[in-house]
Formats: sequence, C-alpha cells, structure tokens
Amino acid sequence: MAKIKKKGTSGQAKNFITRTQAVRKLQISLPDFRRLCIFKGIYPREPRNKKKASKSSTPNTTFYYTKDIQFLLHEPLLRKFRDQKALAKKIARSLGRGEVGDASRLEKNHAPKLTLDHIIKERYPTFIDALRDLDDALSLLFLFANLPSSAHVPPKTIALCQRVTHEFQHYLITTNSLRKSFLSIKGIYYQATIQGQDIMWLVPYRFVQRVNGDVDYRIMATFVEFYTTLLGFVNYRLYSTLGLRYPPKFDTRSDENGAELAAFTLEGRTVGEAPKAIEANKQTNKTSNQEVSREVQAKVDKVIKSAGLDRTKDEQVVESTEEASDAIDKFEPTAPEADTLPQPDLSGDQAGSLFAPFVFYVSREAPKAPLEFILRSFGCTRIGWDAVLGDGAFTHDETDTRITHQIVDRPSLPEASLPAIPAASEGAVQKVRPGTRIPGRTYVQPQWVWDCINEGKLLRADLYAPGATLPPHLSPWVKPTRGGYDPRASLAEQEEEGEAELDEESDSDEEMEDATEEKKADTKEESEAESEDEEDINGGMDVAETDDDESGSEEEEDEDFGGFEEEAASESEDEEEAARTQHQKELEAEAAGLPFSSGGAAGESSKKKSAQAKKIASKKRKEEEELERQKMMMSRKKRKLLEKMIYSNKKQSEEAAKLRSKRRKLEKGEKGGQK
Amino acid sequence: MNASKLSKKRKAVTRDVEEEAGVFSGDELNVGDINGALSDNANELSSDEEDSEIELIDDFSDDEDEDEEEELDSDEIPSDGEEPLKKKAGKPVADLEVPTNDESSSEEEAEVNFRIEKDANGNDRYIYDEINPDDNSDYSDIDENANTIGNIPLTFYDKYPHIGYDINGKKILRPAKGEALDALLDSIEIPKGFTGLTDPSTGKPLELSQDELELLRKVQMNEIPAEGYDPYEPLMEWFSNKQEIMPLSAAPEPKRRFVPSKHEAKRVMKIVKAIREGRILPYKPPSEEKEESLDLVSFDLWADEAERPDHPMHIPAPKLPPPGYEESYHPPPEYLPSNKERKTWEEADPEDREQEYLPTDFGSLRKVPGYGEFVKEKFERCLDLYLAPRVRRSKLNIDPESLLPKLPSPEELKPFPSVCATVFRGHKGRVRSLNVDPTGVWLATGGDDGTVRVWELLTGRQLYSVKVSDEDPVNVVRWRPGKDAVVLAAAAGDDLFLIVPPILDPELEQASLELMDAGWGYAASKPAPKASEEKKTTPPQWARPSSALADSGVCAVIPLRYVAKSISWHRRGDYFVTVCPGSSTPASMAIAIHTVSKHLTQYPFSRRIKGGGPPQTAHFHPSKPILFVANQRTVRAYDLSRQLLVKIVQPGARWISSFDIHPTSSTASGGDNLIVGSYDRRLLWHDLELSQRPYKTLRYHRKAIRAVKFHPSGRYPLFADASDDGSLQIFHGSVTGDMLSNASIVPLKVLKGHKITGELGVLDLDWHPREAWCVSAGADGTCRLWM
Repeated sequence: MAKIKKKGTSGQAKNFITRTQAVRKLQISLPDFRRLCIFKGIYPREPRNKKKASKSSTPNTTFYYTKDIQFLLHEPLLRKFRDQKALAKKIARSLGRGEVGDASRLEKNHAPKLTLDHIIKERYPTFIDALRDLDDALSLLFLFANLPSSAHVPPKTIALCQRVTHEFQHYLITTNSLRKSFLSIKGIYYQATIQGQDIMWLVPYRFVQRVNGDVDYRIMATFVEFYTTLLGFVNYRLYSTLGLRYPPKFDTRSDENGAELAAFTLEGRTVGEAPKAIEANKQTNKTSNQEVSREVQAKVDKVIKSAGLDRTKDEQVVESTEEASDAIDKFEPTAPEADTLPQPDLSGDQAGSLFAPFVFYVSREAPKAPLEFILRSFGCTRIGWDAVLGDGAFTHDETDTRITHQIVDRPSLPEASLPAIPAASEGAVQKVRPGTRIPGRTYVQPQWVWDCINEGKLLRADLYAPGATLPPHLSPWVKPTRGGYDPRASLAEQEEEGEAELDEESDSDEEMEDATEEKKADTKEESEAESEDEEDINGGMDVAETDDDESGSEEEEDEDFGGFEEEAASESEDEEEAARTQHQKELEAEAAGLPFSSGGAAGESSKKKSAQAKKIASKKRKEEEELERQKMMMSRKKRKLLEKMIYSNKKQSEEAAKLRSKRRKLEKGEKGGQK
Repeated sequence: MNASKLSKKRKAVTRDVEEEAGVFSGDELNVGDINGALSDNANELSSDEEDSEIELIDDFSDDEDEDEEEELDSDEIPSDGEEPLKKKAGKPVADLEVPTNDESSSEEEAEVNFRIEKDANGNDRYIYDEINPDDNSDYSDIDENANTIGNIPLTFYDKYPHIGYDINGKKILRPAKGEALDALLDSIEIPKGFTGLTDPSTGKPLELSQDELELLRKVQMNEIPAEGYDPYEPLMEWFSNKQEIMPLSAAPEPKRRFVPSKHEAKRVMKIVKAIREGRILPYKPPSEEKEESLDLVSFDLWADEAERPDHPMHIPAPKLPPPGYEESYHPPPEYLPSNKERKTWEEADPEDREQEYLPTDFGSLRKVPGYGEFVKEKFERCLDLYLAPRVRRSKLNIDPESLLPKLPSPEELKPFPSVCATVFRGHKGRVRSLNVDPTGVWLATGGDDGTVRVWELLTGRQLYSVKVSDEDPVNVVRWRPGKDAVVLAAAAGDDLFLIVPPILDPELEQASLELMDAGWGYAASKPAPKASEEKKTTPPQWARPSSALADSGVCAVIPLRYVAKSISWHRRGDYFVTVCPGSSTPASMAIAIHTVSKHLTQYPFSRRIKGGGPPQTAHFHPSKPILFVANQRTVRAYDLSRQLLVKIVQPGARWISSFDIHPTSSTASGGDNLIVGSYDRRLLWHDLELSQRPYKTLRYHRKAIRAVKFHPSGRYPLFADASDDGSLQIFHGSVTGDMLSNASIVPLKVLKGHKITGELGVLDLDWHPREAWCVSAGADGTCRLWM
C-alpha cells in the first residue's frame, strides 16, 4: 500500500506562506518586512485555491511564495535591520537615562548604512531590465523633487531627487531621446526612448501638492530610497556610455538662483580616466563592444562639441538636416486591409533638429521648467526667459533681436487696460510692456511646442497665437482602433452606415437628453407603424400575428432561438409583403394612368426618412439574426467566449457611438449658430 | 545438593498440597500413604525451609512453582507450628471414618458394627463400637483433638514432653519448637554457596562465594560495591581562610610588585610612536561632506552584466496605461461630460467612479490648476507595487468574428419556406394529418371531425370532403406515390380507406379506379380462410365500402381491427405499410403491409420487436427493399428480400415520434441519413455509415416534436420538424457525395403561426414534391402553406 500522505506537506499548502508566517520566519517587525519587500521587489501571490494554501480559517490573508521568503532569509539587509533594531534599543535606553549626548552619538556614528546596490544588481541583472522598470521610479522621483520639505520628507531627500532627475533630464537633452509629451489634467507626461525602451513618466505641475491624511510617507520614502539609488546607477551608466563624467558639475550658487537644469555642466571624461568597468567589458566581449564604443565615441565627440560650445549655432543644424536623408522612409500601406508594421516614429537626429534653428523666449507666465526641458531636448540651445524665472537663460532681455519665437500664455487684452510700466532705471534690462508685440518674432502659446513635438514637425503658429482658441490637445499615445472613436478623423469617416440619419430622426422626434430613451421610443414607434401596415396589407389572408406589445429590447435579450426568430420572421415577412403590395399598387396605378404616391405628398420626405431608418433597422436585425444562427452551431464554451468578446467590443463601440453623437450635436449646433 | 534432589523436594511439596486438598474435599485417602508422606514431609519441609531462606535473600525466583514455594515459605514459624498440628489432626479423622467408608475396615468386617474377639477365656467376645452419641454432628472431629486439661495454665506441663490429654486420654505431645527445627537443620549438611539456581551457561547448579554474595547485597542496598570504601571519612581542611600564624613561605615581597611594568611602558610607547607618526589617527567624527559623497554613485553596476533567464514565476509590475484624450487639459469638446454625466460622477463614491477625474477643458495652460490627488495616486501606485498580488492574464486579442463558424449565408441556402402563404380552414377540431399529392396540386388532410378533405394547394380552396367516420378521427392520410393513378389512403378508427377522390380528370380517375378494382379478383380467387385461423392471425379481408362512402369516392375498406396511426407507401405505389402503435394491439398485428394490386394484407412480423415498446411508425426505404421500423427507442432496418435485420439505430431518445429517411443520400453518398424526432424535444440526425448513435442532436424546441420530414425531391437539401410549441423549424441539411465530409446542418427558419390549442401545436407537416414549400397541420384546425 502506498504511504499515506500527511496533509499540508506538499503542493499549495507548502508553496504559499501567509504574511504573518513570513514575518515570524524572518524574525523582523512588520514595517521592516514591508521595507524588505519593497527593496527586493517581492509581492504577494494569489494562490489558485486559497483554501488549500491557508491553514487558518481566516479568509483574508496575504500569501507569499515560500521560496520568496526563503530567498529573503539570506538577505544581508536583514542583518542591517537587526542592527538597527539593536541600536534603537540602545538609543532608547540612553535616552531613558537622560544621556542625550550619548544617544545622539550612537545615532550619528552607529547607524547602519543601507546599501542597495546588490539588490539593484539582483533585481535588474541587465541594464535594459533597469530601464524597463524606470517608469514608476521617474514618476515618483519627479513628484518628490517637487514636494515641499516636511517632517516626513527631509530636504535632503528632496535635493537628492532633484539632482538625479535633473541629471536624467540632461542625459535626455544631450541624446535627444525625448519623444513625446502630453499636457494632461494631472501633470505633464513625457516619453523617452532609451536603448529601445520606451519610458513614460508623469511630472506634476508646479503647485504645492495637496496631501491627504491617508498617505503613508514611510512607504513612499522606502520607494524613493530605492528609486534614487536605481536612478543614480542608471544615470552613471547612461553618462558613462556617452563618455561623460558622472556626477556632472553642479553649481550650487546658480541652483540657488533657480537655474535648475542650467546648474549642471556636463563634462567629458579625459582619456586616461576611462572607467574600469568599460575596460572589463572590453575584455569580456571585445568584438561587439569595440564597435559600439567606437560609435559611442563618435557620438560623444559630437555631444561634447555641442555641449561645450553652447553658444555656437547654425553649422550643426545644417549637418543634422543632411543626416536626415538616411533616415528610415515611411511605409504607408496602399490598401486599407493590409497590416501596418510598426516603425520607429522619430529618430534622435530628427528630434534634435526640430527647434534647433530658433531662439525662444519664455514669458513670465509660461512654465519655464518643462518648456526648457522640451525645447532643449528637441534641439533648441538658445532659450531666454524673464529674469524672474531664474538663472541660466540664454538671455533675460525680452527685446533681444535674435529671438525668433516667444512663448506667451496670457489673454490678449486691449492695450489701454494694461497698466503702464514704471520707467526702467538705467542699466537694468529693458522692460517691455506686457501687451506689446515686438515685430519679427512669432508669438505662440505653450501648447504649440507640445503639439509640434508630438507631430514631429513645426505646425502653423497662427493657430496658437496668444488669445486664440487653441485646437484640442490630443494624447499622442492613443492609436486609432477599429470601432473606436478618433477625434482627428472627420465624423463622416467613422460613422456607421445610417447612424447619422437614425440619430437625426430621433432628435427630430423628441428632444430628449437621454440617448437610450430616444432609441427606445424610436423602436416603439416603428413597431406600431409596422403593425398598422400589416393590417392593411394582409387583407383577407391571415398572417401570423406578431406580439407588438413586447418591446424590441426585451425580445433581443431573450436568447432563445425561437423567440428571436419569431420577430425576425415577421419582420422580413412584413418587408417582403410590403414590397410586393407596393409594387402591386404601383402597377395598378400605372394601369389606371394615375400618378402613384405611396402616402400623402406632404409627409413624403419624412416617410422616406423613416423608411430608410426602418431599412437600416431591419438590416441590423438581419445581421443579428445571422449572428444568432451562427452562434447556434457553436459549442457552448466557444459561444461563451464569443459573448464575452462581443460584450467588451460592444462596450467600446458604445462609448465611441456616444462620443460620435456628442460630436454630431456639437457640429449641428455650430452649423445652427452659423445660420 | 544436586538437581535431582531439588526436583524430588519439589515433588514432595506438591504432594503435600494435594494431600491438603484431599483433606478438605473429603476424598478417599490411603492412611498408610499419608503417614509415610507425612513423615517424609516433615523432613523435607525442614530442609525446604532452609532452602527458602536463601531464596528469600536471592529473590531470583520467578516460576510459578517457586511462587508456591514462596507462599509456603513466607508463612513463618506460626504456620510451621500449625501445619504439623493439622497433619496430626488429619490422622484421627481418617481413623474415625474407617467404619463408614474405609476400605481397610470393610476388609475386616462386612456390615457388622461389632468385632468378635477372644477374651482371656477363649470365649467370643463381642466388642461393640463406641456409639457416637451425635454422629450426625459436624463438630465431632474438632472435639476429638481438644485438650482436655481444662482451665489450668500450660506452664504446669513445662517439664513434660506432652501438654495435656485428648478426649481419649492420650497424651497430646508438645509441638515441635524452633529449637528443635534448628537442631534438625543443623544436622543437615548443605554445601557451601548453595543457591538453588542453575547456571544457564554450564547447566550446573550455581554456586556463589561469600564475596559475591556480599557484592550482590551491596548492589541491592545501593551501596558502593568497591571494597573498603568509606563514604563518611572525616574531612581534613588543608586550605582554609584561616590566617595561619606561620606562613608557608618566608620569602619577602618581590620588587616587581612595586615598580611599573617595563613591558607595558614599551607597548604604550609603541602606540605613542604610532600616533606621532600618524599611523594611528585619533577619532574624528566623519564630516557631512563625506556622507554626501557616499550617496553618489561612483561605479558602473552593470559593468559585467549577464543576462539571466527570466524566472517563470516572476511577473514584472504592469506599466500604467498612457493617458487618453479625455485626460488632456484641453480635450476635444465631445470628451467633455454632459451635465448629467457630471452629476452622476459627482454623486458616485470615489471608489465607484470609472475615472478618478472629470474631463475638463481649461482653455489655456496658465489656467490649469494643480491636480489634488497626485500624491494620493502615486501612493496608491506604490501600494499596488508591493501589496497587490500579480496575476498573469492572457488576453485573447482576436476578432470575435473569427470564432464564428463559417456558415453558408441564408441567401445561398434559399429557397426555403419563410412566409405563410395560404391558410386552409374548414376542419372542425384538430387536423391530424396532411399530405401533398405527388403532382403537387392537391393537399389531403384528415382531422378530428372524421373527414378527409382535399384542397387545392395554392388557393386553399376545398375541393372534396368525405366523412369516413362518425366518431373516430382520421389519424393519417397519405397519397399513393406515382402519377399514373391517384389514390389516397386514410386511416380512421380501426379501418383503412382507399379513396379515389372524384376531383380528377376522367382519364386519370378511370385509371385509378381500375387500379383499385384490379385487386378484387385476387381477393375472390383466394381460398377463404379457415374459421380457426381467422381468430387470430388471419389478415383482414378487404371490403367494399358502404354505398354512401362508395359514392363519395371510397374504393376499398380494410378493417384492421386496431387503430392505425401511420401509413407509408412504397415508392412504386403498390405496397403500403401501416402501423398500429396502440399498446393493446397484439405484436404480430401491429405492422401490416398491404398490397394494392392484390387487395392483400400481410403481417410480416410474428413477434414483438425487442426493446423499446410497441412500434411507432414505419417507412420503406426510398430506393432499396428495406423497411425501417421505429419503436419507442430504436429504429430497425429490415431487408425485405432477404428477411433480415440489417441495422439498429439508437437515437437515444426516450420516445420516438417520427422519423424520415433522406431521399437521395443512399444513392448519392452510399449511406443512409435519417432524421428522428422524439417526444422528448430532440431532433436527431443519423448518419448510418458513421454510427448507431446520432451525428447531431438538435434541441431547439421547447415541446415535443411531432413530425419530421425531409424534402422529398433531391433538389432542396431541406428538412423540417413540427413541434407542440406551435412552430416549425426549417433546416438546411446537405449530404455530400464525399465520404469524408459529414453532412452540414444549418438552422434556417422558425415558422410560427399555428396557435397552441390544448397543449398541441403542429401535428403534421409535409413538403411540396418539387418546390421548397411546406405545409403544416395545426391543432387549431387550420393548415398552412409556407413558401
């Protein structure tokens, strides 16, 4: 006989461990466990069968893989945590004795320093892995860089966040790897492509963040601690691939003056200082790396040139335009049914040349930081701004003649309403009256910059002139899908056949707000009309009676083959009958030599419309009937799958239909307004 | 002592016990034996006692026998004193009882209670036994032994060997005292070291020396067994805290106790020197700057990166989806919520909202406020990252259309009936059966009112009506196939009627009547059946109808004696088969085959069809000489020419209502296809080549299926079924000539129109022989033509 297996010794019961058990096993406190999990990237798992996995009867438990916890047991950080705990005890004791000096000394000198580099190496064995996971890191670090310092968020952390994010931004600027950006309600989304990895992050607008009570900063601080280390290493790697020295030179004084990005100066590495790491790399895989490094070197040289000679201009622009010739050609499918293969949308060179020939001036009211970052990463090297906005500008002089574009975000007011400027004292930068326009330059609203980079080309600036109603700002990431609504395309292109008429009719029938109610009413009317027709047509013969009282929607819900068919049958029956009698009548009229009119001449147009609507409705119904017929021949499992898919598709298409109807109304309203 | 002696002693002991038992049970005892034993016992006992003393010390005894001995031994001296007493007392008892039942006494005198002795004179002298005054007394034996000295102290007899006298005046001897026993024991010589045990290794008696015994004793008493050990030796205090007046050593205190250590000085100097030289730095708190520099990354972590295969259990955190149009600060106007949507959003709980924000149009960038929930959102994301269990879900990204089976479009499958074209009214009560004639012009119906009617199919005009039965309904009507003659077979009640309706053109009518009349000759020429046979199995004789019926076109009546529910013609039109499914019908008479040309009726089945109740319906195969018979659960195919059962089809239905055979499949594809309708709502398609079991089971009706029918011509691959739920369903079922491909069945149409009356909907249906039209008979008294 086989050996009787003991319960709970194999399978799910063994593979999963509850959080309490895990904490006990690791012999640390729950907050420490949380920190460890955050650092190590260990997350709970959902057992396939909760009952089998848990030994207790409590239903709400978090499960971890036992192997994950086993893996945590060997973590060097665990020892650090225990040291910390011991130290905390010592400090508490000395504080209890009133030895404050002792306590502070202990805290200062004996606090164990956590190093996370081994964890980062372990979690991201390759650099690409690290880049892939940078989304959340960047979003959180940019948030912390913009937070006010408080008891929970020490200024040191904020400064560190600011530093690493600025360093990262500098990398993006030098490599022109920023691709897209989007102004949303929440903040500004950016997307960059580094080594083929798309990284998207969100930067809040510069306002003091509202903090609710239910935010636990300790958790976020743990994440920030991990992410700053990660981004530090990523920055180092990114800089070293460019041959730049890391950390870049940081000018604290100009930073204090609000220079932000401009407080950093990138420096090339001297030849002798070649990093050991790269040398090691060369030894390991020479052939591939040498080529790469050569390329890198070329690039580096270029970057050094551009970075070092900040003020030189036009030659590079010319260069870059020449280079654009060997860019990828755009492949457009000629037939709509063909597949479209994805292509890289914008190369770094193209991006780098977008704003290169221009000199921008950012007005006081425009957001300087994002504009500077975007303009720089799209090739613009000369950006001036008002002195109020901080140091590091190309020029603080608004009247500078070199300026080609000025970014303004203020309403156009009549000049008289503007206050007069006090006479500028000698020597100071000449002030310009806020409303005045300096000839020879283009005034645009900030959205122009964003729309330009998303489109990859310069757009008409007059649409974005100050005071003008801006075109809608669209997200660059939404790809038009089949059945989805695309605001770029015209309404006529995406409407379903007859949708507009149907909608119109329903509008004309009743002015009701709810679209669904409209539809219902519509169908009801139709059915009534049909029943009337029926009586006329059938004459002596008895045709099967349809149950008109039942509403159409109810019928449709009824999945029964019979129930559905009944209506459809009568429908098509009626159609055919109607057509036949119509024809008959026409013939008769012809024979009699009378002009034939199906109804009164007055209601002809409306009748036609309703007939059309009816046609569409019947066509729809027929399609549905067909679908139902096909479904009948499917297996139960497949049918369920299909229904699920249809449900989700339907949801999407309903949403699209709603948007379309809204737009239709809007367009109609506009037309009406014009008339 | 050796082993033999030991065993002997044991024997003695056991005998002793036996003897005691004898005393108490009152068994016969040999006095002499007892005496001998007793004397022997006395000796043995004493020796035994000595042995047992040793045993007590050893305490090795475990045997039962030894236990017994122990029991004996454990009784100490008082018991020793008692035993001899008892044994002595035992002897007189035996003596006294001699006259009653002793063997020895019976030897001397048989039954007299006196002895004859010679007195001194030589005369006989009768000496009578002493008369026991109360010989039924129980206490007699105890009294015998009593000391009769009365109430005087025993000390008076100290000088004498006896202690008194018994009732007979004999001296009671003083019992043996300890001293005497001791003296006896002393006299017996025991070898030194005798234990009474056997050495298991040698088999010889185990002898222990005195030392060994002593050792054993010490072990037993928990003492240290070593020789000469004294646990309580007096303590000698060599070292104590007491200051002695005289020190042990008189040497003076050394100098080094007062001079600083040179070695230590050397070591200190070494450190001082190191400090001076800067080799040892005094402690300095680390500066802030240094700490700062610790934060800075100064090496490439991925210098020697090696790709690691992704762990299958690792699920990377899902990325947040990119923002959509509605999240824009200046979205297209159609994305802005209407008032109603805004209201519902505001009223909903924050958890229930689909979006956490409301799309808003700010117009220009300067008007955009900070997003209040930013920190919270990021915090929630953090929580998700470390708290949320991750599950990998595979999303099917396929077009749902691709899942749908490819069906031929209804346009391709056309024509099929879809509209009710004609309604035939006229029957009172249900229309039970209908049939379209082979030319496709007329429709024959039969109903509950007992009439058979013939209608013009296209117009719905009634052409002919005959009331064949007053009380019984017409169960089934069937036209004879073939266009050379027009004959209608109808079953009403127990009778079958063959009708030539007078609606035809005269030539055809003449031909039909001739066909019908031809058989009468055969019937007449046939010998009349014997009376005995007629009772049971004789087939019925075809009869001429009554004149009223004959006038209205009925040509022949076949009295079947049981109610026929099914008629099916052979394709040539000479035979037809009827089935009487009633449970009272004898099995042999349920199925009858009638020959029109001979006016002959035969019962092909003499016995009941096995399994599944009475036969329900039967059909001839459209091209082969095969008869299909369905009973409640199976359909059987019989080869009529060879008279064999060819096939059994098991549709799995509980009660088959009707079935039909595909008209062309046997010629087109080589195999037969069958549709079976059942009262348990199933429509089953059988491919006889494939299996006995159904190829497809269709359950689209909510009530019992009454009739199923293939389209009779091979042109339209259609079939239909009629159900009690008042609907007909039309299917496309095409059989291809290819053996590999199965029949394709496509549901086409549900025809509704018949009213459900009395739980019954459509009772019968038939197809037009050429067109894709179908006719149905309803329980509501109407028939409908669908086209």
